[in-house]
Amino acid sequence: MKDIYILGIESSCDETSVSIVKNGCDEIATVVLSQMDTHSNFGGVVPEIASRMHVENITIVIEECLNKAKMSMNDIDAIAVTYGPGLIGCLLVGVNAAITLSYIYNKPLIPVHHIAGHIYANNLVSKMEFPLIALVVSGGHTDLIYMEDDYKFKKIGGTLDDAVGECYDKVARVINVPYPGGPLVDKLSYKGKDTYPLPLPLDDNSYNFSFSGIKSAVINLVHNEIQRGNEIRKEDIACSFQSRVVEILTKKTMRALKEYNVKNLIIAGGVSANSGIRNNFIEICKEEGINLTIPNIKYCTDNAAMIASAGYFAYKKGIIAGFDLKAKATVSLF
Amino acid sequence: MIYLLIDTTTSHLTVSIIKDEKVLCNYQENITSDMSCKIIPIIDSVLKNVNIKLKDVDKLFIVNGPGSFTGIRVGVTVAKTISWALKKDIIPLSSLELIATTYTDKRYIVPMIDARRGNVFAGIYDKDLNVIKSDSLVSLDQLNKELDEDYELVSYDNIKASIKPNIDVLKIVLKHINDDGVNPHSLNPNYLKLTEAEEKLNA
Repeated sequence: MKDIYILGIESSCDETSVSIVKNGCDEIATVVLSQMDTHSNFGGVVPEIASRMHVENITIVIEECLNKAKMSMNDIDAIAVTYGPGLIGCLLVGVNAAITLSYIYNKPLIPVHHIAGHIYANNLVSKMEFPLIALVVSGGHTDLIYMEDDYKFKKIGGTLDDAVGECYDKVARVINVPYPGGPLVDKLSYKGKDTYPLPLPLDDNSYNFSFSGIKSAVINLVHNEIQRGNEIRKEDIACSFQSRVVEILTKKTMRALKEYNVKNLIIAGGVSANSGIRNNFIEICKEEGINLTIPNIKYCTDNAAMIASAGYFAYKKGIIAGFDLKAKATVSLF
Repeated sequence: MIYLLIDTTTSHLTVSIIKDEKVLCNYQENITSDMSCKIIPIIDSVLKNVNIKLKDVDKLFIVNGPGSFTGIRVGVTVAKTISWALKKDIIPLSSLELIATTYTDKRYIVPMIDARRGNVFAGIYDKDLNVIKSDSLVSLDQLNKELDEDYELVSYDNIKASIKPNIDVLKIVLKHINDDGVNPHSLNPNYLKLTEAEEKLNA
């Protein structure tokens, strides 16, 4: 069978990324240009600045990726692009570049949902085996997804309020940890002890998550300690918070695996870089005989390799967009 | 020589094809949403209409601002991708200068684009498109103080005492026909305005 090369483009937030992936599994070359240093001056991603930086860099990143792969656009079979969800001004840059390339080179244009991309980042580690349960944890998502086969996504649970990554960032702000808060809270938690009595978030029979309660609990805790003139032990707060989050994610995910009688688990999304979550799942899956896949750290954050990988399977399913492909700030995978 | 001009900086989209100093097609449409989904289909239909292939175009003229930030980015992204992919010369043009091609019997032309909160993007041009005052972001009050001679205000937006543009794409292309092309990687929007976050940081 002829090899299929997909060029992926990702620009949904603060990373301009282009990648070429062969047959959905073999990464040929990836370039990621992160804007994190710029946004750290503002304490978070500024959408208009991010959009501006994507325009400045998009063709440079495309060219660099092709050079790195020692390929030309003529060697590419199709172009995959993140069309949503994400920051609309940012998405538009990638989508317009992809539409234009598709038009010029007469190559199919494949619309990829950002979360499908995160899930397929696992395919770059090892070929995904079905059926599987995917736990997607990021700044905008906390979803449990059942996949019977490639590109069949069935949601079995999701967050009712804040996404887990969002909650990490808010907790970081409350305990004065600088941007990017999430990864720093993770690091800090290893220096502390689980001493603060924080509640276990939404511990019910559903597969849904709710993190607003624990967020409020941390805020109240910090305020109360300040009022009482007590010292705030950041490390201990980070550790107590992370312990509860990891506990509920593990508890519901493991229950889903049992109930759906599934032996394959993948974890995806930016928060899958969190070492507490990774280590805990690695340990428990080993005990329970679950086949666990987590992307390499570099593929946990936004990148185009995952978009090119997902794009390959979308392409196989005949998911092709026209030149009027619309970028969408919010769009469901289901 | 075949030229393609693209302007997506205002709701008044323009895609024009000029060949041998004649306008073969001057497509204009009022587009209030989804410029991004419409731009390539429109460029494609304009090219087909005049039976020209994109690869036969010799030079691109891209209007890179000021105007709608999103609109600017759509046009610039498309244009720099075409220029990079097909190795076409690309020349950036001012949206205000394009509006200033509107015919008038006044001595000066003052093209304006609404920038909200009493501000406009504006410049002052003479009839040969020479810049009398460079494009900038000014308050309407300030602009009024600077205007004391024979001038015409021109804008697509409903700004007092202004007439609607009737742009002459050939005029602006001929004016810039010998401009040096820019490297597509360094072709960037000309917003004429920092982001709010940057303004606050600098304040």
